[in-house]
Amino acid sequence: MKATSRYFLYFFMIFAATAGFLQNRYDRHTNYFSAKNVFISLPSGKSLRVLSFGFQNLLADVLYIWAIQLFSTYTIENRFDYIEPIFNAITDVTPAYRDPYMIGSLIMVYENKDPLMAIRLLDKGSAALPGEWIFDHDAGYYAYKFLKDYPKAEFYYSRAARKPGAPSFIQRNKAHMVYLEDNLTVAWRMWQEIYRNARERIERDSAFNHLFQIKSDIDSALLQPKIKQFREAFNRNPIDLEELVHRRFIRQVPRDFSGKEYLYDPKSGQVRARQVFRWKKFS
Amino acid sequence: MRLKAIVLNTFKEAARNRIFYLLIAFGILFALSSRLVSLLTIGDTVKVLKDIGLAVINFFSVLVAVFTGINLVYKEIDKKTIYNLLSKPISREQFIIGKFLGLALTVLAALAAMALVFFLFLLLTTGSFDAPILLYFLMLYFELLIIIAISLLFSSFSTPILSSIFTLSLYLIGHVLWTYNEFKYKLTEPAGRYLSDVLYYILPNLEKFNIKNAVVMKIPVAGDQILNAMLYALAYILSVLALSIAIFRRREFP
Repeated sequence: MKATSRYFLYFFMIFAATAGFLQNRYDRHTNYFSAKNVFISLPSGKSLRVLSFGFQNLLADVLYIWAIQLFSTYTIENRFDYIEPIFNAITDVTPAYRDPYMIGSLIMVYENKDPLMAIRLLDKGSAALPGEWIFDHDAGYYAYKFLKDYPKAEFYYSRAARKPGAPSFIQRNKAHMVYLEDNLTVAWRMWQEIYRNARERIERDSAFNHLFQIKSDIDSALLQPKIKQFREAFNRNPIDLEELVHRRFIRQVPRDFSGKEYLYDPKSGQVRARQVFRWKKFS
Repeated sequence: MRLKAIVLNTFKEAARNRIFYLLIAFGILFALSSRLVSLLTIGDTVKVLKDIGLAVINFFSVLVAVFTGINLVYKEIDKKTIYNLLSKPISREQFIIGKFLGLALTVLAALAAMALVFFLFLLLTTGSFDAPILLYFLMLYFELLIIIAISLLFSSFSTPILSSIFTLSLYLIGHVLWTYNEFKYKLTEPAGRYLSDVLYYILPNLEKFNIKNAVVMKIPVAGDQILNAMLYALAYILSVLALSIAIFRRREFP
């Protein structure tokens, strides 16, 4: 090896070691995982479409993957300040890309705790892909679960149920929303229709449970005031529900949807069904 | 026969170029790397895989078309081999058309190599053969033919650096020409509108051939749209080749 070449090799080793040492020193004084705030500015979706020069899908993929990394970097404290413009930009570049609507709304609800924002994004998805039921279904679920806005949830479930390929459970969700709105007559009619047209056991069982619950609610709403009237008239509760018939408060004792008698406590004067479904308790 | 000789020679010459193989190799490498990127996403990973793969093939095949095309005529002039060629019973029309067809063959070989690897890769990754992507490659090839014709046009009177700048600029403009209609209504002067109309019809509308978004998202592409794009490509290529021949015929080779 020539002497000059050897010198350059020595230089290379010295400078490479110096660069490594400087980087190591920097790393020891830098906390890469400390909490921080960032500033993000994106061009409008339309400008991004122009700037993609025909590579809209690729640009949308890059933005989407970057957004996922950004919103899962928990050390960036203000990351959610930009969530809506970022997902709007991605969906403006490729309006037919399904994942950003779904995952974006999921992050908005569960991480950013803003169901209204999520529903806005899903509305945009539903407008861009009118044949997709999943956006309306998700919007309905968020309205039901997080906003407790049952009419709004019913609206989305209705829209989803009308779309091609919508699974049958959406119709059941819609009927459940009507029930939660306390519109028992309409809910009864809807669940009866579902019960009649059920093709699978799960559908029939679900409809049965709901019909059982609705009938219990309707019958309870009929019986409790009659028991109260009885108490006011006789200064005591009826011994059993048959006594209401004998004293002509009601024509006959209603039975639950499975044909069994309701449970009656003469001490408290309360009527209740033999079964209360879990979904009723937690809804 | 003479045309065939030019076509085959052009193909051989381009195929001997190291840049040609380098671009194909990079195209294949980056297309395969889409698998790594798709792992970073949530949801439809196959979509990301296809998006990146097709975009990379598109990008590198455009580079192959531009960088091979811009040198073809210029090299003949620069190395003075054109004198030798034109002294033979070869017309200038045959020379330009032969160069175009030779380059079209070269780009077809490059595109086929990249497409084949990508299809095999997709088959191994997803276990399915996505036939609509073939349609995309067909449309991409028509787009590349236009780019070849344009690069040949610039190559016939300009230097390689300027030719590559002009061709790539036209490629980029060709993909944003759809914004023209919005731009037009912002012009108040009738002369400006007239000029923009002229430019709109002269410049290549390459977005007509861009069906990769639709193919990946399984959005149906109308047969009319495909046919219209193919006929447009044919008409555009013929017009650019005619212009290239007209310019090339006027050139003096002392």
